Amino acid sequence: MENNFSAESSLRLITETIERSRRTMAKNSGKPMILWGSLVAATSVVIWALWTKTGTPIWNLLWFAMSALGGFFTYQMNRNREKVPATEISRILGKVWMWFGFFATGFYVLLWAVALIRYSAHMEGIVTVDLTLLLTMMMGLCGAISGAVMNCKPVTVCSVLATALSVIFVLLVPNGAPTQILTFLILGVFALIIPGVILQRKANA
Amino acid sequence: MPETKLFKPLDPLLHSELRLAVMSILLDAGSADFVYLKAETGATSGNLSVQLDKLQQAGYIEVSKGFKGKMPQTVCRITDQGRNAFAAYVEALRSYISSDNR
Repeated sequence: MENNFSAESSLRLITETIERSRRTMAKNSGKPMILWGSLVAATSVVIWALWTKTGTPIWNLLWFAMSALGGFFTYQMNRNREKVPATEISRILGKVWMWFGFFATGFYVLLWAVALIRYSAHMEGIVTVDLTLLLTMMMGLCGAISGAVMNCKPVTVCSVLATALSVIFVLLVPNGAPTQILTFLILGVFALIIPGVILQRKANA
Repeated sequence: MPETKLFKPLDPLLHSELRLAVMSILLDAGSADFVYLKAETGATSGNLSVQLDKLQQAGYIEVSKGFKGKMPQTVCRITDQGRNAFAAYVEALRSYISSDNR
């Protein structure tokens, strides 16, 4: 078979190989998006329900439990899945979402630390930071970047729409928290689950 | 006077189904491990090893051997020289096709 095929066959082989490889790689990115989207959506509903019932925002600590659970499931998923290369694209996506996780967690911890310092030092005045809005923007941005890197328009469009919907929701919700927290339900479904399902369907087509 | 057609030469190293398939995957992915390349190309381990060796000797790819956990892992990465050679090969193919369509 070596060195015995036409120019058309060569170009067809290149195209088909790249398309097949891209489908395999897309398979790799769909499942984690569905997993994390489901976790984000479910956690936001649980926190909203508990926060509304008890009146305390302490239930927000469940986000840390969700991160640990998601990390465990992702590890299991990677162990059981067929071998897919750590490509430049998957590496970039991994780093984008890893830094989102660091920024989100770091910012949350920092806010608590500053609040404790202010409380201990008996500092006057109130500083308000809309963490939900900030995280919403960050999550939407990471989703849009993911779509652009994967060259998958539906993922980018879903992320932009989800961010717009979430921002409008956050700004329109009367009395803010705890109802505001449901913005992550919108983001989980529209920025992660739906794009994840689209990627899975494309990969299995 | 008869018309003389000048075709760009096709890189013989790339004008082979398996090596071309490997280079196509690496061009898109940047790097991939041996198991993945084997699954995607449907080649046998022996044949794939031989072809990867040829691409490595030409400087088109870099091959690094290591471990992922306790399992040995061979990772292949396309080089700049490989990318340039692939681009030149595709350009040459286009000249053949455009010539056929005239």
